[in-house]
Amino acid sequence: MIRPLSGIAARWRGWVELISRTEPGTALALFRILTGSALLILIGSVVVSDLVGVLWIDYEHGGYRRLAGGWLVQALGGASPEVVGSLVGVTFTAGILLTAGVLARPSALVAAQGMIALTTLNTHARSAYDPLLTNSLWLLVLADSTATLSLRCRRRHGRWTSDRPVAAWPRYLAIVQLIVLYTGTGLHKISIHWTPAGEFSALYYILQQPSWQRVDMTWLASVYPLTQVGTAVTWLWELTWPVVGLALWFRTTADRSGRVRALFNRIPIRGAYVSIGLLMHISVTVMMVIGPFTWITLAYYPCLFRSDELSRVGQRIRRTLRRSVPDR
Amino acid sequence: MHIVAVVILALPDAGKLANKPERWNNPTVKAEFEAWAERLDSMGWDTDAATLRSDVFDAAQSWASTLEFLQAPVKPYADYVGVRQKWRMFVAPHRHPVKLHIELERDGKWVPIQVARSDEYDWRGGQFDHARMRSLLFRYGWKPYRRYYRALARWIATRVAEDFPEARRARIQLYGFRTPTPQEVRDDAIPEGTFREALRFDLESLR
Repeated sequence: MIRPLSGIAARWRGWVELISRTEPGTALALFRILTGSALLILIGSVVVSDLVGVLWIDYEHGGYRRLAGGWLVQALGGASPEVVGSLVGVTFTAGILLTAGVLARPSALVAAQGMIALTTLNTHARSAYDPLLTNSLWLLVLADSTATLSLRCRRRHGRWTSDRPVAAWPRYLAIVQLIVLYTGTGLHKISIHWTPAGEFSALYYILQQPSWQRVDMTWLASVYPLTQVGTAVTWLWELTWPVVGLALWFRTTADRSGRVRALFNRIPIRGAYVSIGLLMHISVTVMMVIGPFTWITLAYYPCLFRSDELSRVGQRIRRTLRRSVPDR
Repeated sequence: MHIVAVVILALPDAGKLANKPERWNNPTVKAEFEAWAERLDSMGWDTDAATLRSDVFDAAQSWASTLEFLQAPVKPYADYVGVRQKWRMFVAPHRHPVKLHIELERDGKWVPIQVARSDEYDWRGGQFDHARMRSLLFRYGWKPYRRYYRALARWIATRVAEDFPEARRARIQLYGFRTPTPQEVRDDAIPEGTFREALRFDLESLR
C-alpha cells in the first residue's frame, strides 16, 4: 500500500517542481513581440486593404451578408461600422501595447477578445491562423512576458534586457501548443495526395490552386519530384512532432539514465525540426498568400529554446553584424 | 485543463462532412473516394467508391458524435478564452477550383476588369488579392455557399457601379477548371475550364 502512495507523492513532487521552475524571460518576450506584431499585421492589412466594410460589417450597414456576431458584438449593438471600427481600433491599440511590452497581460486579454469578436463575425472569411493567434494571446495572458525586451523593463531597469526570472510553465504550454498544432494539422491531412498511394502529389496540386498561389505555379511540373519530396517531408514532419516534445524532455532530464534518453540526446532532433519548419514556413510565404500564418506560427519557435540558448544565438548574430559593418 | 482543452479541440473533426453529405458530390471529393477505393481494392480490401463513401459516412457520423461528447466540457472555456483550434489547413488539394471574373459591358462586348491572379485585370486588386478575400472566394466556389456567392456578387456589382459611372452592365462569374497534372503541363495540354454561376447586373439600378 505504501509503495504506490509514495510513487504518487514522488510524481506530485516532480510535477510541483516542474511548474515551479523559473528562468529568464527571453523566450516569452520574443513570443510576445512576434505575436503582437502578427496581430498588428493581421488587423492592419484588413484596414489598409479596405476590407473592413465588406468582411465585418452587417448587410444593414453596407456589408454583403447578415452578420450576427458573437456575444461581444451583440452586447455592443451589432456589426455596425461604429461597433466594428471601435473593435478594430481597440484591438490594434492592444496589439501595439502588447508588442511594446506595456500592460501586456491586460492588452493580450483585450486583443484576444477583440480578435474573437472580429474574426467570428464572418466565419466565411476566417482563416485557420485566427484561432491559433487567439491561443497565443491567451498564453500571453497567463505568462509574464515583459521581464525583458519591453518598455516595462526599460522603465524599471533603465535598459532593454534583464535576467529577472519568470515562471517557465507558460513556455512549456507554448511548446505543447506547437506540438498539438503540427500533429493536429498532420492528422487532418487525409487526402490520398498526401500519402504514397497518391504519389505524394499534394503540394504540387495545392500550389496550382488560384486561391492561395502568389503567381502562376505551373512551372512546378518541371520540378515535380522535388514537390513530392516536399510533400512527404511536410506530412511526416507534422505527424511526428511529438518526438520534439520527447527530445526536449530527455534533454531536460539528461542526468537520468536510459538508452533511449542517451540516443535522443546524441541526435539534434530539435534543430532538425526547427530547420525544416523554418524552410517550410518561409517557402510557403514566398509561394503563397496566406496572411500572417508564418509569423503567428514562428512566434512559438523561441519557446523551444532556453534563455541561455537564445542568448548565445543573439550574441552570434551581434558578432556577425559587427563583422559585416566596416569600421569607420 | 488548458492542455486537455487544446488537445481535444485539435482532434480531427468530421462534423461538417458528416452533417453535410451534399458536399461529397463535389468532383474533388468524388475523385478522392475513387482514388482511395481503387488503392484499397488493389491492396485486397474489396470495395468500390460508393461502398467506401457509405462506410466513411457512417464512421464520420460516429466520430462526430463521440467528439461532440468529448468537447462538451471544454467548449465554454474554449469559446470564451479563444483556444479553439481546428487546423484543417490544406487537408486536400482542391482539384476543381474556381477563379472569379468580373466584366463590364462596353460596346456590346464583355471586357474583364478583375480576373483572379491576373496582373492585367486587377481592379480593386488590393481587396481581391487579400488572404481573407481569397478564403471567402475559395468557399464560394462550393455549391452549398451559392447564396453567399450571389450576395457577394451583388456587393461587388454595387462597387463596380460606383467606380465606373459610365458603365451600364456588369457580369460576375466563376471560371471552374481542373488543375493540370504535371504531365499535362509538360505536354502543353492544360485542360480547358468552363464559366459558371454567371450573374448579370444592371448597374443603373445599383446607383
